Amino acid sequence: MASAQDAGRGWSMAGRCLTALVGGYAAAAGLATLLARLLPVARVEATAWGMILSFLFYAAFGLWAFHEPRLARVASVIWGSAIVTGGAALLLGVRP
Amino acid sequence: MRQSMAWIHGWLGLLAGWILFAMFVTGTASYFRPEITRWMQPEYRPRPVGNAEAARTAVAWLQKNAPHDEQWTIYLPNERTLATRVFTRARPSPDPKAPRAPRRPETRLDPATGVPVEARETRGGEFFYRFHFQLQLPHPWGRWLAGLCAMFMLGAILSGVITHKRIFADFFTLRWSKGRRSWLDAHNVSAVLALPYHAMITYTGLITLVVMYTPWPILANYAQPAVFSASLYADTASQKASGQPGRLADIGRLVEAASAEWQGARVSRVIIGNPDDASSTVTLLRSSDDRLNARSASITYAGVSGERLSASPAPGPAIETAGVMLGLHLGWFAGPLLRWVCFLLGLTGCAMVATGLVLWAVKRRKPGAKPFFGLSLVDRLNIGAIACLPAGMAAFLLANRLLPPMLAGRADLEVSAMFWTWFGLAGLSLLRPARRAWIEMLTLSALLFAAIPMVDLVTIGGGAFDGFFLAFDGTMVLLAVVLGFAAWRLARRPVDAARPRRRVSLAVSEVREAMDVA
Repeated sequence: MASAQDAGRGWSMAGRCLTALVGGYAAAAGLATLLARLLPVARVEATAWGMILSFLFYAAFGLWAFHEPRLARVASVIWGSAIVTGGAALLLGVRP
Repeated sequence: MRQSMAWIHGWLGLLAGWILFAMFVTGTASYFRPEITRWMQPEYRPRPVGNAEAARTAVAWLQKNAPHDEQWTIYLPNERTLATRVFTRARPSPDPKAPRAPRRPETRLDPATGVPVEARETRGGEFFYRFHFQLQLPHPWGRWLAGLCAMFMLGAILSGVITHKRIFADFFTLRWSKGRRSWLDAHNVSAVLALPYHAMITYTGLITLVVMYTPWPILANYAQPAVFSASLYADTASQKASGQPGRLADIGRLVEAASAEWQGARVSRVIIGNPDDASSTVTLLRSSDDRLNARSASITYAGVSGERLSASPAPGPAIETAGVMLGLHLGWFAGPLLRWVCFLLGLTGCAMVATGLVLWAVKRRKPGAKPFFGLSLVDRLNIGAIACLPAGMAAFLLANRLLPPMLAGRADLEVSAMFWTWFGLAGLSLLRPARRAWIEMLTLSALLFAAIPMVDLVTIGGGAFDGFFLAFDGTMVLLAVVLGFAAWRLARRPVDAARPRRRVSLAVSEVREAMDVA
């Protein structure tokens, strides 16, 4: 249970849970949106692929948040992915 | 990897477990949604008619009762659903800031006569179905909570698979009467045996509400999100009314035309936009009970002339995938035998969640030591969720037979009977020691299920009985036997603390177990 102990208690655990739940959702949504925007297939198809895969992304981010012992790494990767993918999707705008 | 995953598996499972158990149980019951409704309205025995005729009678009733509404939706009956179900949506108010008019409540019509069904008022199987993803909470909170729990379930399944090193061997391992070992084995057998089913039902469950949970890909590709759904169906809601009055063509003829175009497949749903207008549209949806894809094809006709306007485009791979996922979750494709297999697989899901919850408590219990607060809390919630919910569901069915058929508001009373029994028993069980409470609540649940056939026989009488009611009541007896067996096993099991073997167990085996259970 090494990683569980490393996860620490109190604030550290709260931060990890928040990162997994909210950050994980944001990162998964950002990734799914970017995928939907960039996939070189029909609009409706790309949208559906993004939506279908979004839960897999969320689960992967969420589980990894509790697997990786270093909270700083967890927070930077997950929140970072959320900002990068979400920002990219915003900058690209709606598919022309 | 395995250790961190075992840890997260335990917590994900615990935090969502009680709600997941209720979702699994009521969802499993929902495989028989039309049958439960049919059982709950025993006096309703309609004369079956064809699809075209059912559509005609429904339209006639709607023209009399909601002629000026913006949209009508008609669900045509089939072998399992006996009544035609209709919804209408009122015309939006001219004020652009006013919210979109809500869908009016469902009306169930007799397919042959087109008058509302005259039978005892009940929510029927619809209640379990709605509860399993709305949890009787105000919209949209129930759906969000259900989605969060499903996400926890997905995480628990993935981490559970990673944790599990001997996935094939455990397929055949069930050691009875070995305390914690048995609970672990039971959890593994119920989980591994139907693992593809559990993973499928969880993921596809999330997909059913994906437009609510993750709408962002739509926003990235469509300036107007409505265009996305319009590109899946031939959407009639977006059609503007002309303002000129118009009369609908014969709907039965359109139903027959669409059916012929689909090589005889049935029409399951009729959506009529602006029904009293010259520009009215009739969209017919193909039934999906003969295929996996539940997102079925549709054809749109001009309402007044009956001219064929458009058909839904052939779906690409992603839309097809989403449709099949939806179909797998709903299980409409399943014939009677396959439906029973789905039902049994659903029960293994219930067993997996229940044994997992019990295991969480059992493996933290120290022999002879007084349980700490968190452990007692989990124990009590386990009793309330696992042992008392079946009693509540039995009470729902019993109330259907015991409340006077003509009583006003009886549909809501049936629902109240379920929650009062469920939460009332959970409260009462606090007065008893945990072990006794388990046994007594499971026994009570078993007795309530066993009472259903008897009450059915007494209140409805033998004359009205046919094979369907016998099969339903027989199933209730089987459920009573399963619950009774659980109570009997518990009563026979020696008390944990009194077992010497646990206290002298060898350090080596203890370590191995800890690794397995983690």
